[in-house]
Amino acid sequence: MSPRRASAGGLIDRGRSIGFTFDGRDYTGHPGDTLASALLANGVRLVGRSFKYHRPRGIFAAGADEPNALVTVLKDRVREPNIPATQIELHEGLAAESQNRFPTLDVDIGALGQLAGPLLAAGFYYKTFMGPVIGPLRGTRFWMLCERFIRHAAGLGRAGYAPDPARYEKMNAFCDVLVVGAGPAGLTAAEAAAKAGRRVILIEQEPRTGGSANWSGETISGKPARDWATALSERLAARGNLRLLTRTTAWGYYDGNTVAALERVSDHLPGAAEGVPRHRHWSIHAGKVVLASGALECPIVFPGNDRPGVMLAGAVRRYIGEYGVLPGEKLAVFTNNDSAYHAAAALKKAGGAVIAIIDVRPEIPSAARALAEEAGVAPLLGHAVVGTAGKRLSKISVQRFDAATGRLSGDVRPIDVDCLTVSGGWSPAIHLASQAGGDPVWDEARLAFLPPAPRQDWLGAGAFTGAATTAEALTSGRDAGLKAVGKRPSRAKPPTVKAPAIDPHPAPVFEIKAKGKAFVDLQHDVTAEDVRLAHREGFVSVEHLKRYTTLGMATDQGKTSNVPGLAIMAEARGLPIGEVGTTRFRPPFSPVSIGALAGERHGHFKPDRLTPMHDWHVENGARMMEVGLWHRPMIYGEPGETIEQAYVREAAAVRRSVGIVDVSTLGKIAVKGPDAAEFLDRVYTNTFSTLPGGKARYGLMLREDGIAFDDGTTWRLGEHDFLMTTTTANAGRVMQHLEYFLDIVWPDLKIHLTSVTDQWAGAAVAGPNARKVLEGCVTGTAVDTEALPFMGIVHGDIDGVPVVICRLSFSGELAYEVYCGAGYGRHVWETLWQAGVPYGIVPYGMEALGTLRIEKGHVAGAEIDGRTTARDLYLDWVLSKKKPFIGSALMDREGLIDRNRLRLVGLLSLDGQPLDSGAHIVESGGLETPGRSIGHVTAACYSPALSKYIGLALVKGGKTRHGTRAFVSDPLRKRFGPVEIASHHFFDPEGRRLHG
Amino acid sequence: MVKRESPLGPALRPDLHGRSDGGSGVTLSEVTPTFMAEAAAWPGGKKILAAAIGDVTGLALPASPNAGALGAGAAAFSIGPERFFVAGSEGFAARLAAALPLETGTVTDLSHGRTAIRIAGPRAEWVLSKLFAIDFSADAFAVAEGRATAHHDITAQIQRTGATQFDIFVFRSLARSFWRILREASAEVGYEVLSGEG
Repeated sequence: MSPRRASAGGLIDRGRSIGFTFDGRDYTGHPGDTLASALLANGVRLVGRSFKYHRPRGIFAAGADEPNALVTVLKDRVREPNIPATQIELHEGLAAESQNRFPTLDVDIGALGQLAGPLLAAGFYYKTFMGPVIGPLRGTRFWMLCERFIRHAAGLGRAGYAPDPARYEKMNAFCDVLVVGAGPAGLTAAEAAAKAGRRVILIEQEPRTGGSANWSGETISGKPARDWATALSERLAARGNLRLLTRTTAWGYYDGNTVAALERVSDHLPGAAEGVPRHRHWSIHAGKVVLASGALECPIVFPGNDRPGVMLAGAVRRYIGEYGVLPGEKLAVFTNNDSAYHAAAALKKAGGAVIAIIDVRPEIPSAARALAEEAGVAPLLGHAVVGTAGKRLSKISVQRFDAATGRLSGDVRPIDVDCLTVSGGWSPAIHLASQAGGDPVWDEARLAFLPPAPRQDWLGAGAFTGAATTAEALTSGRDAGLKAVGKRPSRAKPPTVKAPAIDPHPAPVFEIKAKGKAFVDLQHDVTAEDVRLAHREGFVSVEHLKRYTTLGMATDQGKTSNVPGLAIMAEARGLPIGEVGTTRFRPPFSPVSIGALAGERHGHFKPDRLTPMHDWHVENGARMMEVGLWHRPMIYGEPGETIEQAYVREAAAVRRSVGIVDVSTLGKIAVKGPDAAEFLDRVYTNTFSTLPGGKARYGLMLREDGIAFDDGTTWRLGEHDFLMTTTTANAGRVMQHLEYFLDIVWPDLKIHLTSVTDQWAGAAVAGPNARKVLEGCVTGTAVDTEALPFMGIVHGDIDGVPVVICRLSFSGELAYEVYCGAGYGRHVWETLWQAGVPYGIVPYGMEALGTLRIEKGHVAGAEIDGRTTARDLYLDWVLSKKKPFIGSALMDREGLIDRNRLRLVGLLSLDGQPLDSGAHIVESGGLETPGRSIGHVTAACYSPALSKYIGLALVKGGKTRHGTRAFVSDPLRKRFGPVEIASHHFFDPEGRRLHG
Repeated sequence: MVKRESPLGPALRPDLHGRSDGGSGVTLSEVTPTFMAEAAAWPGGKKILAAAIGDVTGLALPASPNAGALGAGAAAFSIGPERFFVAGSEGFAARLAAALPLETGTVTDLSHGRTAIRIAGPRAEWVLSKLFAIDFSADAFAVAEGRATAHHDITAQIQRTGATQFDIFVFRSLARSFWRILREASAEVGYEVLSGEG
C-alpha cells in the first residue's frame, strides 16, 4: 500500500496495480488514478519548479484548474510538455517528467534566481530592456543580446523534435440540446431534454460523469450520490437519442451556437488501436446549449501560499473521495467560507489527522461547527495563515486576524503540518458564457462573477449559475433541460439530497497581507505586490493589468487567480470589484492540441489534383511539380540530365519536329444560354458575339478596377453554347467572378455556368509535324488548313473516342489542342503518342512550356500578376472601343495610363549567365550597391531557339527602353550582370510558324 | 469501344482494411454511372425542370430544396436553386437535351467530370460526419435527398441512396485524393473495399 493511500474509499480499482515513472523513478498506482493522485498517494509532493522564480511547487488542484503541477509526458519519442498532472489518467507505461528545473527537480540551479526576486517584479522586462538611446546596445539591441539567456531561464516545458505519429480527427455533430458538464445539474438537464425525445449531446471533461457527486459524500434519492449519478449516466448513455462524450472538453463557444470540443480518445490507453485517433475535435452545432460547467474554487492569497503541500480544499475532498488519497498526514484547513469544513470532515473520516481549522471569520454557522466537530478539532476563528515553511510544507504560522479591517494582531503561532487546504470561495466556470458574449456580473454576496445575460441561445444550470447546493443543481438542471426543449419548469419534487445545510457565502477576504511573497497567479509567478505595482504604475484597467503582469495568462488561463487578482486591484483602486470588472474569457477553456485542429489534414495540407494522364507521366519518368492543387510534369528527364538540359531538349524538339503536353488542367467553364454571347462581350475586353460557330478566340478579362485578371481562349461550340478556358491557376477565381456578376449584377441574363474542367482531358500537340501526327490518328474529319484553320474547331474520333480539336498555339508553333472525355484521356494521349513516334515526338513539361512561351513573349500568371493593365502588357489590341466591358470604366485612370508604369519587355543576358525571376533591373551600381530598381524579371529560361539566357520583365517605360542596356540585380542570389532590354517577341515575331 | 478509365487507378484495391478485430463498419466502392449531367432551369422554372427530368428518367422529382429521387437505373437530386444533378445511363444524354429546350434551361454533360463513390454500412453517417459539416442523421437527411457541400478544397455532391448508404459525387481529378481521405476516415470503424458496382 502506498504511504498516503487511505485504507478504503475512492473509485479506483484497488485490485489492480499500474506501473509508471516520474522523473525516471518507478511508482505504482491503480486504474482510476490520475498522475496527480498517484503521485500524492506515493508521497511525492514536489512536482515542478515555478515559471519565473523556480520555486518548488506541488499539486494544488485536482482538475483542469491546476496551475502548478505541469509535467511533460513522454510517449514513443514524442515529448508533450505542460500537461497538468491532474488531467493525465494513469495507464501502464506512462512516463512523465517534471519541468523547468536543472539539473534535477530537487536541486535546481534556476532557483538561485529567487535571490534576484525583488528585481523580477511586473514590468521588469519592459523597464530593463528598453535599451539606451545611443551606443552599441541602443534600442532593442540589449534585449536581443539577453533574450537567449532569459528564454532559457524562464518558461515551462520543452517540446521535442520527433514527429508526432499520433492520429487526429475532426468530427461534426448536430443536436437539439448540447449539455456541457455531466455533474448533477448536467445529468438532470440531459435527462429532461432526452426524455422529451430531442437529440441530446452530453459532454464531460473528466473520464467519469457525476462531477461533485463522485466526492461529495452526499446522498441523492437515498443512494450515495455517486451511485445515483452512475445509474443515471448509464440510463442516459443507453438512450438512442443521447450521445455521451466523456474525456471531452468544450473549449470554445462560437457564433451560431457552435461549440468546439476536444475529445481525448486514447490518451488514457497505452496505445491506440489502428485507425483510432488520439484526439478528436468536435464542432457541435446545437439548437440550445445548457451550460452546467460547475464552479472553480478560489484560493486565499497569503505569504508562502505556493509551497508544495498547500492545496485547494475542494481538491483535497476530491482526492479523498474519488481516489482514496490523503494528501498529507498532519493537515490544516484555512478558509473564509463553510465549504472547506467538508474537507476537514472528509480528511478525518479518511484517517487523516486534522490539526487545525483556521477561519478568518469571527463566527461560523452551526452546520460548519458540526463539521468541525466531525473533524475533531475546534476551529481557530478570527485567525489567518501568515506564513509557511519548508521546501515541502512542514510548518504554517497563524495570527489573529480581523476580517473587517484586514489587520493582524497578537503573537505569530507556528503549527506543524504537512498539508494546508485552502478555500477562498467558489467562482462559477462562466468561461463559455463569457465567450458567447456579454459582461459577467459581480455578485457581492457570493463574491463571484456570475454568467452574463445570454447573447446566444444558452441556459445555465447548477453551480455555473452560482447555485451552491446539489439540491439547487438538480432542480436548475432539470428546469434548464425542460426549457431547452420548450417546456415549462416541472412542479414535481426533485430527488431529495441529504447534505449539511452550509452557508454558501464567504467572508470578503481575498488576501492576508503579511511579510513574504504571496502569489496570486501560481503558474506565472505573479504576486499580490505585482498587482499593486501595476496599479502604482498606472496599469489599472483589468486588460492592462493582465498584459503588464501576465496575471491570468498561460495554460490555466487564470482559473484560480482571476478573482483574487481583481479583488486586490479593486482594493488598490478603492473601487468595488464589480466596477473593476473582469477580462472577457477567450477560447480555449483549456489547452487544445494543434494536431486536433489540423485533424485529418495532418501531413496533407491539400488534396492532390491529378489529370487523366497522371499515371502515364509518372510511368514515363516525369518529374512532377505542384501548381496549385494540380500535379503537372515539370520535365521528363533522361538519366543524367539537369532540369535545364531536359527542358531545353524538350523545347528544341517541339521547334524541330513535334511535342505533346498535358493541358487538362486549364480551367474550363461551360457557358450556355440565350444570353451567352452578350455575357461574354461584357466579361471579356474584346467581342465574342461576332465569333462564328466552330471557331475560338483569345480573350482577356479585367477586374472592375481595370487591372488585367485572366486570359484564355473561348470556343463557340453552338449558337448559345461556349466553352471558356481559363488559366490553370485562376480557374476557381474566374468562376467566382462570373457567378458574382451573374447573380448580383446581371440577374436578368439567362446564362448557366458549369465547371467542366474535369470533364475533358486535353493534350496539346505542337511543332512543325503536329498536323502529320493528327493525320496519323484522327478519323471522321480532315485536319488540313482548309478544314481546320488557325482558331478553327473540328469534331472527330481518335481510335473510336470522340474528340474536339482546336487549332491554337501557346508555343508559337503549328499546334492543336485535342480534347476528349476524361475517362478516355490516357487512351487518346497514348494514341497520339504512337502516331507521333515516326516524327520523334517528345512529351514536354511545364519548364519547356514556359520556355516556348517566353520565346514567343506570351504572357502568363507571372505577368498578369494583379498589378498590370492590358496596356502594360501591350495587349491594347484586345481592348474593344465599341462596347463597355468589366473594367473599361476604370482602366483609363491617370495612374493606369502613366507612361512610366512597369511594362512588358524582353531581356537578353549579356554575360551568358542565367536570369532569375524576381531579380531587379537597375541602371547602375554593382553587386553590393545596386542602383535604384526600374523593374523586375517575371520569367526566365535558357532559350534553345536563341541560344541565350532570356527573360521577360516588367520595366519602367517598357518599349521605350528597347535596345538599351541595364543590369540584373539579385542580391539574395548574389547575381549582378549586364542585360539588353529588347522586344518580348523574341522568336518568330511575324507568327509564320504558327500558320505553317 | 474503348473502356473508360477510373481515376482511382491503383488506389482502388478490393480488400478488407482497418480494424484489427476484423470487423468493418462500412463498405466503400466506386459506382460512377455512365451518364451524369447538371440540368438547370431559368429562374422560376424548377418545377418544369423537375418534370422534364422526370419524363426522361421516370423519377418523381420534387422541386423543393435538397429534394431528390431514386429509381431503377436513375437518380437525381437538387444541387442548387433551379439546378439538379442527374445520373443514369448513356441514353439519357440525348433525351435530356431534347427535353430541355433553350427556353426551359440547359443541360451540361459531366459523365467524365465526376466520380461517384459509395459508402454504405452502419457507420456511414459517423465516417461522413468527420469530413462534412452537415447533418447526416436520417431525420435531417432523408433517403433520396441530396446535398451540395465540400470537404475543404473538394466539392462534393452527396445523395442518400439508402438508410445507411450515400453516393458522393466528386470532381474526377480529386477522386483519388478523396478516396484516400475517405479510407483514412473509415479506418477507425474498419472498412471493406468492394470492386466494381457496389
